[in-house]
Amino acid sequence: MAAETRILFRNIDEPGLASIRTYRRLGGYEAVKKAYQEMEPEQVLHELEESGLRGRGGAGFSMGKKASFLPRGDMDKYLCCNADESEPGAFKDRELMQKNPHQLIEGIIIAARAAGANRCFIFIRGEYDLQGDILDAAVEEAYGAGYLGTDVLGTGQQVKLVVHRGAGAYICGEETALLDSLEGKRGNPRLKPPFPAVQGLYGGPTLINNVETLSNAPHIISSGAEWFKSFGTEQSPGTKVVSVSGDVQRPGNYEVELGVPTKLLINDLAGGPPKGHKVKGFFPGGSSSPVLTGDEGMKLPYSFEAMQEAGSMLGSGSIIVFDETTSVVDLALRTARFYHHESCGKCTPCREGTNWTVKMLERLTRGEATPMDIEVIASVQENIIGHCLCVLGDSMAMPIGAMVKKYRSEFDDKLISQSYSAAAKAA
Amino acid sequence: MSQPIRNAVTLNIDGREVTAPEGTMLVDAAKHGDIEIPVFCYEPKLGEPVGACRMCLVEIEGIPKLQTACSTPIRDGMTVYTQTDRVKGAQNAVVEFLLINHPLDCPVCDKGGECPLQDIAMGWGPGKSRFTDPKRHFQKPLPLSPLVAIDRERCILCYRCVRFSQEISEDEQLVLHERGDRSFVGTFDDRPYIAPFHGNITELCPVGALTSYTYRFRARPWDIEDAGSVCTLCPSQCNVKFTVRDERALRVLARDNEDVDDGWLCDKGRYSFQMLASEERITEPMVRAGDGTLAPVSWEEAISKVAAGLRDAGTASAVLAGGGTSNEEGWLLQRLLREGLSSPNIDSSASGARADLVRELSSPALGSRMRELDYADAILVLDTEPLNEMPILDLRIRKAVRRTGAQLLVASEHPSSLDGGAAEAVRFAPGEAAELIGALAAALGAPGYEDDGPHAEKAKAIAELLRTGPDPVIVWGERLFRTPGAVEALLACAKALGIDKRLGPGLLEVPESANGRGLREVGCLPGAGPGLAPTQTGAAASGIRDGMVNGEIKALLLSEADPVRTHPGSEAWRKALASTFVVSIAMFDDPSTAYANVVLPAESHAEKEGTVTHPDGRLQRVRPNVPRPGQIRPTCQVLTDLAATLGQTWDLPDQPAVLAAMTDDVDFYAGISDETIGGQGVRWQELASGRSWGPAVGGRTDNQGDPPPASAGSGLLLGTYRDLWASEVTERNPALRFLKRGQMLEIAPKDAETMGLENGDGVRVSVNGTSVEARVAIRTRMEAGVGFLAEGLAENNGNALVNGAGTRIEVEKTAPAAEFEAAGMGQKATVLSLEGEAAAR
Ligand SMILES: Cc1cc2nc3c(=O)[nH]c(=O)nc-3n(C[C@H](O)[C@H](O)[C@H](O)COP(=O)(O)O)c2cc1C
Ligand code: SF4
Ligand code: SF4
Ligand code: SF4
Ligand code: FES
Repeated sequence: MAAETRILFRNIDEPGLASIRTYRRLGGYEAVKKAYQEMEPEQVLHELEESGLRGRGGAGFSMGKKASFLPRGDMDKYLCCNADESEPGAFKDRELMQKNPHQLIEGIIIAARAAGANRCFIFIRGEYDLQGDILDAAVEEAYGAGYLGTDVLGTGQQVKLVVHRGAGAYICGEETALLDSLEGKRGNPRLKPPFPAVQGLYGGPTLINNVETLSNAPHIISSGAEWFKSFGTEQSPGTKVVSVSGDVQRPGNYEVELGVPTKLLINDLAGGPPKGHKVKGFFPGGSSSPVLTGDEGMKLPYSFEAMQEAGSMLGSGSIIVFDETTSVVDLALRTARFYHHESCGKCTPCREGTNWTVKMLERLTRGEATPMDIEVIASVQENIIGHCLCVLGDSMAMPIGAMVKKYRSEFDDKLISQSYSAAAKAA
Repeated sequence: MSQPIRNAVTLNIDGREVTAPEGTMLVDAAKHGDIEIPVFCYEPKLGEPVGACRMCLVEIEGIPKLQTACSTPIRDGMTVYTQTDRVKGAQNAVVEFLLINHPLDCPVCDKGGECPLQDIAMGWGPGKSRFTDPKRHFQKPLPLSPLVAIDRERCILCYRCVRFSQEISEDEQLVLHERGDRSFVGTFDDRPYIAPFHGNITELCPVGALTSYTYRFRARPWDIEDAGSVCTLCPSQCNVKFTVRDERALRVLARDNEDVDDGWLCDKGRYSFQMLASEERITEPMVRAGDGTLAPVSWEEAISKVAAGLRDAGTASAVLAGGGTSNEEGWLLQRLLREGLSSPNIDSSASGARADLVRELSSPALGSRMRELDYADAILVLDTEPLNEMPILDLRIRKAVRRTGAQLLVASEHPSSLDGGAAEAVRFAPGEAAELIGALAAALGAPGYEDDGPHAEKAKAIAELLRTGPDPVIVWGERLFRTPGAVEALLACAKALGIDKRLGPGLLEVPESANGRGLREVGCLPGAGPGLAPTQTGAAASGIRDGMVNGEIKALLLSEADPVRTHPGSEAWRKALASTFVVSIAMFDDPSTAYANVVLPAESHAEKEGTVTHPDGRLQRVRPNVPRPGQIRPTCQVLTDLAATLGQTWDLPDQPAVLAAMTDDVDFYAGISDETIGGQGVRWQELASGRSWGPAVGGRTDNQGDPPPASAGSGLLLGTYRDLWASEVTERNPALRFLKRGQMLEIAPKDAETMGLENGDGVRVSVNGTSVEARVAIRTRMEAGVGFLAEGLAENNGNALVNGAGTRIEVEKTAPAAEFEAAGMGQKATVLSLEGEAAAR
């Protein structure tokens, strides 16, 4: 696949890559040696910061900068790898963990050096049972090889790693809910500040990063920040594993340099919509990103900044394509139902707003809505956005709001008067 | 850690300059500028804000998103807007969201008229709803507990009740089930929420989702009056207000006082208003007739009977004061006895507290304020179970551990509910307090103490943690006085820690009775007169009892005291009371009034006017909230009349006059008046007269605690403890009756094994032919070789067996646990009957 640029996926289909032997044969765990034996923690941190690597879990925050927020000094510090991957459309972390678990573990050990973390966790969604087993086995191998333990590679530094399986709630992917869940509590987001970097797991300084973010660390340490920056755009350096799904002929994960044309991802790599159909629109960054119409979105470069400029976001980097056979009203209802189902209920606008939105959309699809309902749907989204405790509420309101705005006529077509006139015509 | 100093910060809210201490949250700071920001989930009593309801969103200059004012600490120069269109839009949105699933059944909701949701919806809501779909439904109301009903449709999911259960009382029973708009509050296992502080959630709930069965449909806010008083059911002396309708108390609410109770009440205090208007109450004076029954008489006749009995006894009279006896009453009692009858025999507890030690312990520098617990580096809980003996203190200690990371240390005979949160929890055998504390004194380097005994290791561990920081607080139980040498060792520890040198850290005693400290300070202690001044030594409680039996003491006046129930040696007390002239001032018939020749009705804490003294030295006012039922007269007046009949003219026409005379007499109370006490109370140590008070030396009395028993059997060593619900209050308030408990013999697993006993087995526990029936409870955090019984139960009272330290018990199995199960008296049956009781309401 010429258009892909494979770094994380370099050896992804190598048989046996999940075992430490194969991983090492292909050059694995050299970066850890370098980070622990040739570099000081400050240098590791500096390199990660320099690389400009942005978080791949949703918010796109600089990974190195976040690590630098952790206080220095001698105390228990934590690193949590967010492997909850529960957003509709996202399945890149699954492949990364299933096929190349040691790349992630190596990344964690390196990030632990940069952040001074001694206790690390991988919080993996419970449904990823196979991947959890694979990680468990890989972690055991890494302990056996001395990359993990009380004395990593004889440097005296302690890095312990535990794989923790979630219990099936999307909200536990939100970093602070993840921490509560990990502590054995109900997975509800916490108020920020304090930010996890200062007061996270068990009240200690905590670095939280996505699987893909951490999987980049070995490569940055091996080849250097400058090398990493030679990929992607200035504001979005590196490559991105993009999950493409929906109405495309070849759904799957594709690793591309950030900034490639979106069209290349959807049409060339994923094969575009089935023959004779065209891209009506797509979610550029998972189900929580505002939808873009085919016309406005296909021409955009696939980068954090371009998506943001277009009023959407790159998010977790998961594209869901829909063609003209998809009813946007149905899509809106499906999306709203997901967020209604997953809303933790802690804060009012999200708890009640997702519920209300679903009820209104259901009424709309049944042909029982009045024109005012569409105004109310739009207004409820406005009333959610920016008013919630975490961004789950916004994650429904933004795409639904965008759908109503960009595909208004489809909503109007479902109105009570329209269904009456349709029925009248049929009679 | 000492109390932090907070600088003033100035900011601008809605164009007004507002100044407040740094660290203040915006909502609170706004109040300084007379600006109200609506809140639902914010409740500082519950700890850190959670930002759940989103009602308090405001605009802050320089921050693009609206911010929650409840969780944003103020900064110098901050500019805040609470009235802009954007803010109003957000407020309207949140109110509209909150109401879409709210039943709006205000006309039949108990909260109506005092409901924050009503108020905020009116003040900050859009005025109408655009919601036309069906609302969420739940079955309602359901019993959350036998005392609290839950209406889940009304719940706005503010999390307050759950936070209370999880983070304040730490009973961890309440949780939110499900998620999103399907979330609902319940206990984690769906069994009744039974926990000693759970009534607080009805006050925390900002809507009518949690209501008390005892108050449902009883009154509307416009029918009622609120008045403040102090709960005198235990030494916590929580500040309360009674909701009064048609001269009857219908509810007890907290009257927040951070220096006392942090705004919480225990369920005992909250639900015990029912007994005030109980049919069973003694409401007129009574005299025992020849046939042994009590017959009502006029006050004049009763007083002349009492006067005659006391006059006959003369110097052989004695007084025992307890319960909610106020300072004024205590002072009059000791005056009546000492001046009117020239008798020195007065006591106010069963501990045998020694006047010289009490005096030393009362030194202002040694004592700790309640609030000091919030800043303590380490807290040692020494042979007391706050949950049972001073419940609110339990919450305060938990708060210190949870919020400020205080190191908690527990050293006690009986397993403690605080063990779980303690950095170190040690047990010692009943009667070994002096050894353990002596070992601690040695470990702290106190002169004259040396130890290499069995407690040395434990003591070292505690000593080390006590030195975690400069500010330790030692909470200790009055029962330490029962063990000779224990309190001396405690004083040595305090000195070794240097806490007698600095304000702040110190000792906090948990007295045996609600006004234990006050009663001693006004002179209800053998060997100490008003102001703890050395005076002629008299008999302590156990001495009075023995004197009654051997004829040295001929008359006893009980003021809200029931020694048969609450003092060790119930049988001996019965014998003593039966052989002398007894007067009892009591609210109800109790095991001691059964022997009284004259019974005088006592005022309750909702009727009395007077002062009490908190264990930390804070004088507080008990105020009349409801009229005295029947013929009841103020006890102060009764005592004055009695004195007059005995030839003493006091010229003390009313309580204010008594207070004035008393504060004249107790030198460290000088200058204290109703005004200085005010609504929040005042610590005498913080007034000029108190600060300079130094205890006089001398006047040492001998410890008059019970002597060790002659016979040392071979059985388990008997230990006893007080239980929160083992009291008359539980029985006299119908709402609390379900909490009445039976006797349990608590033993260590090892002993259970050797004795062939299992949990729930029925046993007979005996000492020298006296026995009580109990069920076996095996406890893991207990020392082997000891058996514990609860004191103060109406039946099978552990006190019946106590005969000084070192009592040993014989245990005989009477029925296996299975038999109780079969008879419906097992664990499961208890829970079911609770559910039945609640459902029947
Ligand atoms: C509702 C919600 C769900 C989320 N789920 C995930 C997830 O499954 N995986 C993930 O990496 N980040 C998820 N995030 C983002 C995390 O909160 C967090 O930003 C991220 O883990 C940080 O890692 P990064 O900086 O490496 O991207 C979620 C956020 C929200 C609000
Ligand atoms: S936005 Fe939704 S998921 Fe996030 S805290 Fe609020 S209710 Fe929970
Ligand atoms: S029951 Fe009351 S206190 Fe508890 S969450 Fe609901 S509204 Fe809040
Ligand atoms: S803790 Fe004591 S003073 Fe407070 S309410 Fe309960 S019984 Fe009354
Ligand atoms: S009061 Fe601020 S979020 Fe609830």
